[in-house]
Amino acid sequence: MITVQNLYHSYNKDDRYAVKNVSFEVQKGEIFGFLGPSGAGKSTTQGILTGLLQLQQGEVSVAGYDVKRSSPEMFNKIGMSFEQSNVYSKLTAKENLQFYRKLFDVETREPKELLKLVGLEGKGDIQAGEFSKGMKHRLTFARSMLNNPELWFLDEPTTGLDPAIAAEIKDIIKRDNKKGVTVFLTTHNMFIAEELCDRVAFIIDGEIKLIDSPRNLKLQYGEKLVEVEYIENGKSVREKFSTVLDKDKKRLQDIIGNYEIQTMHTKEATLEEIFIKVTGRGLV
Amino acid sequence: MKLWHSFIKELKLAFRGFYIYIEIFMAVLLLVILLFAVPEKFVSKQSEYIHLNLPQMVKESFLQRMEDNDLDGKSELIEIKNDGEVIKVQFFESDTRKIYLVDNKEDVIKLADKKQQLGAIIKLDDSYNLAYEYYLQGYESQRLKNLFSIIHVENSDILQTTLDEQDVRPLSTSYEQLTDRQNILPSVLTFNGSLLGLFLIAGYIFLDKKEGVIKAYAVSAASVWQYLLSKVGVLMLTGIISSLIVVLPIMGLQPNYWALILFLLTTVFLSSTLGLLVASFYEDFLQSFGSIFLILMAMVIPNIAYFIPGWNPFWVKILPSYPMLEGFKEILLKNGDITYVLWLSFGFLAAGIILFLISNKRYKKTLTV
Ligand SMILES: Nc1ncnc2c1ncn2[C@@H]1O[C@H](COP(=O)(O)OP(=O)(O)O)[C@@H](O)[C@H]1O
Ligand SMILES: [Mg+2]
Repeated sequence: MITVQNLYHSYNKDDRYAVKNVSFEVQKGEIFGFLGPSGAGKSTTQGILTGLLQLQQGEVSVAGYDVKRSSPEMFNKIGMSFEQSNVYSKLTAKENLQFYRKLFDVETREPKELLKLVGLEGKGDIQAGEFSKGMKHRLTFARSMLNNPELWFLDEPTTGLDPAIAAEIKDIIKRDNKKGVTVFLTTHNMFIAEELCDRVAFIIDGEIKLIDSPRNLKLQYGEKLVEVEYIENGKSVREKFSTVLDKDKKRLQDIIGNYEIQTMHTKEATLEEIFIKVTGRGLV
Repeated sequence: MKLWHSFIKELKLAFRGFYIYIEIFMAVLLLVILLFAVPEKFVSKQSEYIHLNLPQMVKESFLQRMEDNDLDGKSELIEIKNDGEVIKVQFFESDTRKIYLVDNKEDVIKLADKKQQLGAIIKLDDSYNLAYEYYLQGYESQRLKNLFSIIHVENSDILQTTLDEQDVRPLSTSYEQLTDRQNILPSVLTFNGSLLGLFLIAGYIFLDKKEGVIKAYAVSAASVWQYLLSKVGVLMLTGIISSLIVVLPIMGLQPNYWALILFLLTTVFLSSTLGLLVASFYEDFLQSFGSIFLILMAMVIPNIAYFIPGWNPFWVKILPSYPMLEGFKEILLKNGDITYVLWLSFGFLAAGIILFLISNKRYKKTLTV
C-alpha cells in the first residue's frame, strides 16, 4: 500500500534534514505506526506521503500512485486526519462535512452517521467555531472517514483527547481496520502504538531506528522480569530476577524452594523502555 | 461541480464574515455621497470682473453687445460683499460666462484676488486702439499667458478668420459628455469595484490560513486551483453587485452593461489574483500590510492623473489602474469605444491567468503539515 525508499526532506533545502534516509513498506490491511518523540519527523514523513509537502529526494508510492506525479483522484482512496484540527469555524459541523464530501468522486458516508460515531450527535447544527478543542479534533477525524478511505492517515489521532473519547477513537480505528482499511498513524504515545499497531517504526531525529511488531520487540528486547517478595529471617525482602539469565533463574528456584513467598509478579518491559534501550532517548 | 460547491461554500462563508458587508456599505455610502454631496457640474460658468476705461461712445457700444448676449437681454445692478465692503457692479450673464462690470480698477483687482477669478481692464491706448490688462491668479499655465499676450496683437478680424480655418479635433471628448458627478464613477468602480478585490481576497486567505483548511482541501480529490478560483468567484460576484449599486442609480440605462460586467469580471480577476499572490508570501494580514498598502498607493496615482488631464506621464499608464479608469470611462460614455474595452478585458484576463498560475504553484508549494 505504501512503499518508501531513501526518503530525505529538509525544510530549508539544506543539509539539516527533518527526515533522513527513511525506507519502509506498509502492507495492505495493516496498522503501521510511527512512534517517536515530538520533533522526530513523523508528521513530515506523513506530509510527504499525502502530497502536502513536496517530495525532495527518494521514491514514494502510495495506494499505487507515484507521489511525484500524484493526481487529485488518488485522494478518493485516502483519508487524512490532522494533528491540528482544521475545520471551517464559520460553518456548522454538518456543513463542514456536507461540503467536504462534495470534493470526492466516490461514494461518501452520511455526515449524520459520522457525527454520531465520533460522539458529536446532536451537535451538527452548531458552528465549529463554538466547539471545544476536543470536539474540533473529533470533527476533523470524522471528516477523514467521509470517502470510505482504503488508506487512512492519522496524525496523533488521540492526542489531547480525554481518555473516554480516546478509547472510542481507538475502537473506531480497530473496527475499520478489521474491515480492511490500511492505517498509517503517527504517535508519541506508546500505549496507542502497542494497542493498535501491527508494526511500529521507532523514529528519532528523522531516522528510523527499527521496525517490528510490538510483540516481537518485547520478545526480543524486553527481557521478562519476575518480582518476588519473600520472608527471610522474619523480614520481608523484595527482589527482581531475569527469566533469561541462568544465574537469576537458579537463585529464583532456590528462593521458591526454601522461603515463604508472599507475592510474585511477572513484569513486562514497556514499549517505551524498549524505545529507550534502542534509541537511548525517551518518548517525550 | 467541485468548483461550484466550493464557490457556494465560499459565498456562505463570505456572508457569515463581515468583509462583504463593508464592501456593500462602502458602495451605498459612495452612492449617497455622489447623489447628495457632489453637484452634477462643479463650476457652471466662468466669472469675469471687468472695468471699462473707455470713452462714453465706445463704452455704450460695448454694453450694447453684452446686453445682446445676455440671457434675458438686460443687465442687473447688484452688490457684491467683499471683505466687509460693498461693491456695486453691473451684472451680465451669457451662456458661458458671468460678467461683472466694475466701476474702478482697484475694485477689479480686489475682486479678482478674493474671488479667484479673471479680472480685466479694457481701455484705449495712445493710438486709440483697444488695450487689455488682465489680472490672473498666478498659477495659470504659460500657454494661457502667451495666448493672452498674442490674442489682441492681430487685428481681431484676421484672428477670427484664422480660428475659423483651424481644424480642431478634440482628443478627449469625454469630459464634455460625462457630467462631473458621472466622471467620478470610473474612479469609484476602479477602487471599490475592482481593486478592493486585492484587499479582500487577502483577508479571506488569511482567515483560512489561520484555520488551516486549505490543507484539508489539498488532501481531497479536488485541486487547490479550484479552492483559489472559488474565492476569486466570490469577489467577482460581490464586485459586480457593489458596482451596480452605484452605477444604476447614477447612469440609468445609458452604459453598456454587458461590457461593464465583462470589464468588472476581468479587472476583479486581475486584482484578486494579485491579492492571492501577495497573500501567499505572508502568514497573516499584519505581515502583509506593508506590501498591500504599497500596491494600493501605487494604484491611486493614475487616479490623480485621471482628474488632472494635463498630467499623465508614461509610467503612470503602465499601472493597471490607469487602463481600468479608461475602460470604465469608455463604458459609461454614450458612444464609448467598446472595442477598446474588449481589448483591455482581454489583457486583464491574460495577466490574471498568469498570476493565477503562479499563485496556484505557490499555494501548493507552501502547504505545511
Ligand atoms: N514548517 C516547518 N518549517 C521548518 N521546520 C519544520 C517545519 N515543520 C516541522 N519542522 C521541523 O522538522 C522536524 C520534524 O518535525 P515533525 O515532522 O513535525 O515532527 P513530529 O511530527 O515527529 O513531532 C522538527 O525539528 C521541526 O522543528
Ligand atoms: Mg507531528
